[in-house]
Amino acid sequence: MTFGERLKFPFKGLVLLTAGVVLAACGETKNRETIALFTKNQTNPYFQTVRVAAQAAAKESNVDIINYIPTSNDSIPEQMNQIEDAITKRPSAVVFIPVDSKAMIPGVEKFNAAGIPVVNLIDRADGGQFVSFVGCDDYAVAMNTARYLFEKMNGKGNVIIIEGQGGSSNNQKRMAGFRKALEDFPNVKVLASQTGNFQRAMALQVTENLLQAHSQIDGILAANDAMALGVIQALDAANRKALVIGLNGTKEAIDAVKAGKLLATGDCDGFLQGCMGTMAAVRHLRNLPVPPEVVFPITVFDSTNYQGADAPYEQRMCPKWESIVKD
Amino acid sequence: MGRLARIPGVAFLLVVLGILFGIFAGGFASLPNLLNIGIQSSTLLLLALPMTFIIMTEGLDLSMGAVLGLTGVVLASALVAGNTLIVAFAAALGVGLAFGIANGLLVVKLGLPPFVATLGTLGIAQGIALVMTGGESVAGIGPALPKLYATKWVGIPFSILVAALMYAAFHFLLYHTRFGNYVFAIGGNREALVLAGVPAGFFHVLVYALAGLMTGFAALLLTGRMNSGHPIAAMGMEFDAIAAVIVGGTERQRGNGWLPGTVLGVLAVGVLRNGLNVMAIQSSLQVASIGLLLIVALLIDSIRKRQL
Amino acid sequence: MKYRLIGVALIVLALGLSSDAFATPSNLLNVLRQASLIFLSASGLTLVIVGAGLDLSVGANLGLSACFAAAAIKATGALSSGFAAGLACGIIVGLLNGLMVTKLRLPPFIATYGMLWMLYGVNYWYMKGDTIYGFPSSFRALGSGDLLDIPIPVYLMVIGLLAGGVFTRYTTLGHEVYAIGANAEAARLSGIPVSSRLILLYTLSGAMAGLAGVIYLARLNSAEAGIGTPLLLPAIAAVLIGGTSLFGGSGGLAGTMIGAIILTLVLNGMNLLGINSNWQPLVTGVIILFAALIDSVTRRHAELGA
Repeated sequence: MTFGERLKFPFKGLVLLTAGVVLAACGETKNRETIALFTKNQTNPYFQTVRVAAQAAAKESNVDIINYIPTSNDSIPEQMNQIEDAITKRPSAVVFIPVDSKAMIPGVEKFNAAGIPVVNLIDRADGGQFVSFVGCDDYAVAMNTARYLFEKMNGKGNVIIIEGQGGSSNNQKRMAGFRKALEDFPNVKVLASQTGNFQRAMALQVTENLLQAHSQIDGILAANDAMALGVIQALDAANRKALVIGLNGTKEAIDAVKAGKLLATGDCDGFLQGCMGTMAAVRHLRNLPVPPEVVFPITVFDSTNYQGADAPYEQRMCPKWESIVKD
Repeated sequence: MGRLARIPGVAFLLVVLGILFGIFAGGFASLPNLLNIGIQSSTLLLLALPMTFIIMTEGLDLSMGAVLGLTGVVLASALVAGNTLIVAFAAALGVGLAFGIANGLLVVKLGLPPFVATLGTLGIAQGIALVMTGGESVAGIGPALPKLYATKWVGIPFSILVAALMYAAFHFLLYHTRFGNYVFAIGGNREALVLAGVPAGFFHVLVYALAGLMTGFAALLLTGRMNSGHPIAAMGMEFDAIAAVIVGGTERQRGNGWLPGTVLGVLAVGVLRNGLNVMAIQSSLQVASIGLLLIVALLIDSIRKRQL
Repeated sequence: MKYRLIGVALIVLALGLSSDAFATPSNLLNVLRQASLIFLSASGLTLVIVGAGLDLSVGANLGLSACFAAAAIKATGALSSGFAAGLACGIIVGLLNGLMVTKLRLPPFIATYGMLWMLYGVNYWYMKGDTIYGFPSSFRALGSGDLLDIPIPVYLMVIGLLAGGVFTRYTTLGHEVYAIGANAEAARLSGIPVSSRLILLYTLSGAMAGLAGVIYLARLNSAEAGIGTPLLLPAIAAVLIGGTSLFGGSGGLAGTMIGAIILTLVLNGMNLLGINSNWQPLVTGVIILFAALIDSVTRRHAELGA
């Protein structure tokens, strides 16, 4: 075969692949309003919940959701690139979870400059113009959940902290929340505070190590559910007991609460936030009133109150806007 | 056929992707979007250019992403402290250069395998950045850098200008200076250099130092883009740089390098990512496509080589 | 080889002196358990690198295998199906890598790096952001349990080490791998079927990644799409710190075990000593350089003395 003929095969394959992809993508209709939803990664179940909720809200309102997720988890440069690429498509509105509260400000300003309305979802960005902030406060969630743990410990005992990734703005806020809670419980002693990088396997390994160093650990604070679940695995394997709290309220964590392995997980209900964030964007497009802030109450899910949260999210429905936002 | 044979398969893919996206991706072929691709690729190109030299010398630099984080943080911190942009930039360049020289010395003088040496300096750079910032981003850098970053010359944005200038500089270095000859030789035929009395070690270290220096330049672009310094924003970028270099035709053995290929490699990935986003392709498919691009690009080269 | 142990010995000594909790049998076994996991994921990779290849997909492969294994166990209720699924995934990926490198003549860096991305794409699509969790304790024992007070993964590491040792020292195949790594052309000329040996190596690397994925699943009691992402660099680091050269032809599994132990000791030490989290990457980087330096210095020493 000649060079030209040989080259046809990968070329043909590429055209077919692209055509297939285009046909799949062309399922998107042209005349409906589109909402660009920016989430942080593809692996944390929390964000999947948010995306599913947004999809549910969008369906009810007859709009389309376009998902923008960085191919590398939590990548700042990628989210910035995706902002620019989204603007090229001119969505009707944007629902935005910033990968970093400060670094993404120029990105939000790009949306502002393009005249595209943005709803800030879940994690507050420290700058830029928003239609509304719909979400939660990591600092408060961490503080409340830590408080709950310390109260269950009767205000005294030894704790260790498993931190999240250094450099993450979520981590800063959660650590600050933990520290604030500690201030009110002077008889709770922090034996160690070590990073698990928000990863389950690392949190497991670090907890195993800390269990070696400290023979009496009464409570463990983990900065997210993935790590909390790693922590309880380590405790199980070492036949040790401690009260463990996590943050995020993922299904797996709720199940662990149900099973009595995890003391509690704190959250503002990712599904609800996904619904409300999308509905806020839609309302803005329909010229309906949207308050500048919709801050969700924090729930510390423990063995007494998990019942609402353990329904599989595919079955949940978005509530009515008016039931949450009282004027 | 010689010149044509030099052009790697990724060039062909770049053209195909450009055409396909131009047809099927609404808005792709607009000037603003094309400029976006340039802006989005510029930081990576600044890392991939010196990486080309390093790979030609049969080395690797895994620390670039972490050092870029550090130089970005140094730049931002210096600005926050009230220094002028020149001074802050000089500080960033200095830190980057220091790490580059350290890498070079570890590899050349102490004979450590480049993978391990730069893995070590990766940790050190990341650690210093985290300690310096306490794990937080550095904001409040003042108006000087944003203003510079936003400037355009005949409509061409600052970052593209920097990338183009750097490419020109590296092209000149590699193909029109003695140093460039040495870079080819260090990878391909080091003994010849040594026999000729050239201090091969010195120039080998210089290759790594150049990479460190370039992270200082890249810091200007990255910090400008985020309007802040962030310790871990660039982690992992070196892998993309290495992939771009290899896909562009530079081979790890035999000191064979083609600098224009590096640009093509960087652009191909930039075009693919941008096009997929503009077409709103599902994220998991995007991830798989990036891998497919790399493999198909070199597959094309493989097939051609069997022919020639 | 014995020189490399100097690095380990120094670290162990330093830690033993600075931390009371370090030198206890409980902690040392703890360290060995953690090191065996790195060893298992890096074992096949070691042989690939000895053969002058590279496999950047081991982390992604491990993660995907764990996810398939998890799904299989949930679907059939049988633990053996988990092993089968995990190993099958690992082997298929490894085979594809091998074919890309030999039949398609792709450079190993790009072939396996491209594979990495494709595997993550499949993994993200398959898992849809969910996790698969909750496995029987008999299965979990593989990762977190003990047999006669010694962690089960450690047995696996020892078996792997012995098998590897026999393989490299006493089988023709093992000798061929080193020959290919040292000089592929010469090996081919002397009649070694280089292509099929390389395919075997990459398949082995994939198989071990798959197996490691199943063990990780047992240890974590849960599968999610991103498990493998942080595991790649430690795996390669363990191989290289252990003295195996990227250029091929030297090194081996014993070195990888040493490398895995050194990396594990670093984190263990930092946790025991309570070193501030922001300092940890720096300490890790310094220790990596330190270990590599010792290796380099002692190797030169040995060469000069010989």
